[in-house]
Amino acid sequence: MRRAAAVAVVAVLMMAPPFLTSNQFLLHLAITVLLWTLLGVSWNLLGGFAGQVSFGHATFFGVGAYATMILYLRLGLAPWYGMALGGAAAVLVSLPIGLICFRLRGPYFSLSTLAVAEIVRLIALNWDALTNGPVGLLITALPPVRLGGRVLDWESKAPFYFIIAALAALAMLATWRLSRARLGAYLLAIREDEDAAESVGIDTVRAKVLTLALSAFFTGLAGGFYGLYFRYVDPDAVFPIALSVEMVFIAVVGGLATVIGPVIGAVFLTTLGELFRERFQVGHLIFYGLFMMLAIRYLPEGIWGGVRRVWAVKR
Amino acid sequence: METFVQSLVSGVLTGSLYAMIGVGLTVVFGVMRIINLAHGDLVMLGMYGAFWSHVLWRIDPFVSLLLWVPLMFLGGMLIYRFLLRSIIPGGELNTLLYTAGLSLLIANLALFSWTGDYRTIKLPYAITPLRPFGIAVPIPLALAFVLAAAITLALYLFLARTDLGRAIRATSQNAEAAALMGIDIGRVAMVTFGLGSALAGAAGVLLGPSLYLYPTVGEILIAKCFVIVVLGGLGSVAGAIAGGILLGLVESLGAVYVSVAYKDTIGFVIFLLVLLFRPSGLFGVGKS
Repeated sequence: MRRAAAVAVVAVLMMAPPFLTSNQFLLHLAITVLLWTLLGVSWNLLGGFAGQVSFGHATFFGVGAYATMILYLRLGLAPWYGMALGGAAAVLVSLPIGLICFRLRGPYFSLSTLAVAEIVRLIALNWDALTNGPVGLLITALPPVRLGGRVLDWESKAPFYFIIAALAALAMLATWRLSRARLGAYLLAIREDEDAAESVGIDTVRAKVLTLALSAFFTGLAGGFYGLYFRYVDPDAVFPIALSVEMVFIAVVGGLATVIGPVIGAVFLTTLGELFRERFQVGHLIFYGLFMMLAIRYLPEGIWGGVRRVWAVKR
Repeated sequence: METFVQSLVSGVLTGSLYAMIGVGLTVVFGVMRIINLAHGDLVMLGMYGAFWSHVLWRIDPFVSLLLWVPLMFLGGMLIYRFLLRSIIPGGELNTLLYTAGLSLLIANLALFSWTGDYRTIKLPYAITPLRPFGIAVPIPLALAFVLAAAITLALYLFLARTDLGRAIRATSQNAEAAALMGIDIGRVAMVTFGLGSALAGAAGVLLGPSLYLYPTVGEILIAKCFVIVVLGGLGSVAGAIAGGILLGLVESLGAVYVSVAYKDTIGFVIFLLVLLFRPSGLFGVGKS
């Protein structure tokens, strides 16, 4: 009962901002925070629960973004289906990547995902026929959509806000389900001791590949959303190493293997970063680096883990 | 034929600098079992060091080695002593994430202080290349090659001949046994991290005149660096030297005979193949 109440409160809070303000910068900030929430939550599925630190998640983001854009621009497919197919495309790409990279463990897995991400980025940069190369893809106008008898105004930010809020909530729900499912328990076992997990009969490769696919799906959706929101993608925007790294930081600083952790990480780091960018233009990741170092040193379970520990002591 | 020799030569020249960066990373890995993701950013600091001492004080980049190498050595020791030392017992992944944080911090502080503008170090003797046997060799790159070779050789002799060098190699082979033989492992680790940083800084100073400088150049360099050390076997100095030259050759030959656009991809593909099929490196001497 209390849990249901908490969920309801969170849902109402998440949907509130567009009703409270029409300030474009604040709404943009809220959308950015939610986009990074979605990314942090997605990364956490694999990185937090299974302990598989991927430095290559930008691949799935980029594939999702490009798939959505290409399907709309070339085939005229409405972006809303395109976004879902972007997630599906990311899943398709994740399967071979998982089968290759999961043969390696620990830091070696991390390095291999970085290499794969760079290969994919270079392909996107050079496959002009498909991706338009470094020039990127541009959507000039989004098709009108009717909802409840009203045409949605794509020039305002409110519709985008509701879409990304819903996607982030969906990813959080998936995390919560995973944490209670058998697969979630498998993943924790893999994280703690992979050999032991295998010896009690867990198909570790299957569990990891499935989780990567789930994580890639949400990351791909986020990529599709990014494409539609900014109406422009190029390889430097959606495939850089920095993007993968930021996802890692948000999840780790917030708190791994929890539903709330990456949300806190995204709210905290993205807000700091965007305010810094607004004021100084460059160097907005200074705090990401700093808080990552502080978190590893003093709060290895992240901000949310620290908060929970304080609570536990008080009780 | 001339194109082939030309790309062979430029491959070896660039490769010698790659080798130097790789040696720094691999020595640190050997002793401390950490993959230092901030290594590329230390190279970037070396590049900017050469740039600023040239712009502000008119010091030739190659002379500025005398200033930056000791400073980077000291800086590296301080980083180890005050930042890394307490993190390392927390395990490989924690250290990896920690150095990722350090990398982002250094790169963004540089971005904040020096902006993201591309810069170049303009040297009067860089304009006309040497032309031995009709092959064009840019003078800064040739100088960098000679100095890189000399520094790498000096390091090799240091590791092979001196007591401290032997202590470093012993710790790299078996830290526990080394400690039992009376080696102060903490001191060895600190010196090694200083050495690794000094090598990164020196490579940066040497690369400065031949590359564009920008604060996030470290992320490309560190990615190349992984390719090099994995090719040669993590922890192996000779392997890193061979791996560096090999990557230089693969890139320059690949640019000519495969495709300019995909030359960087070749390195990463080889990297994946080696990780999967020969995890101890092409020469089978590294530690997997």
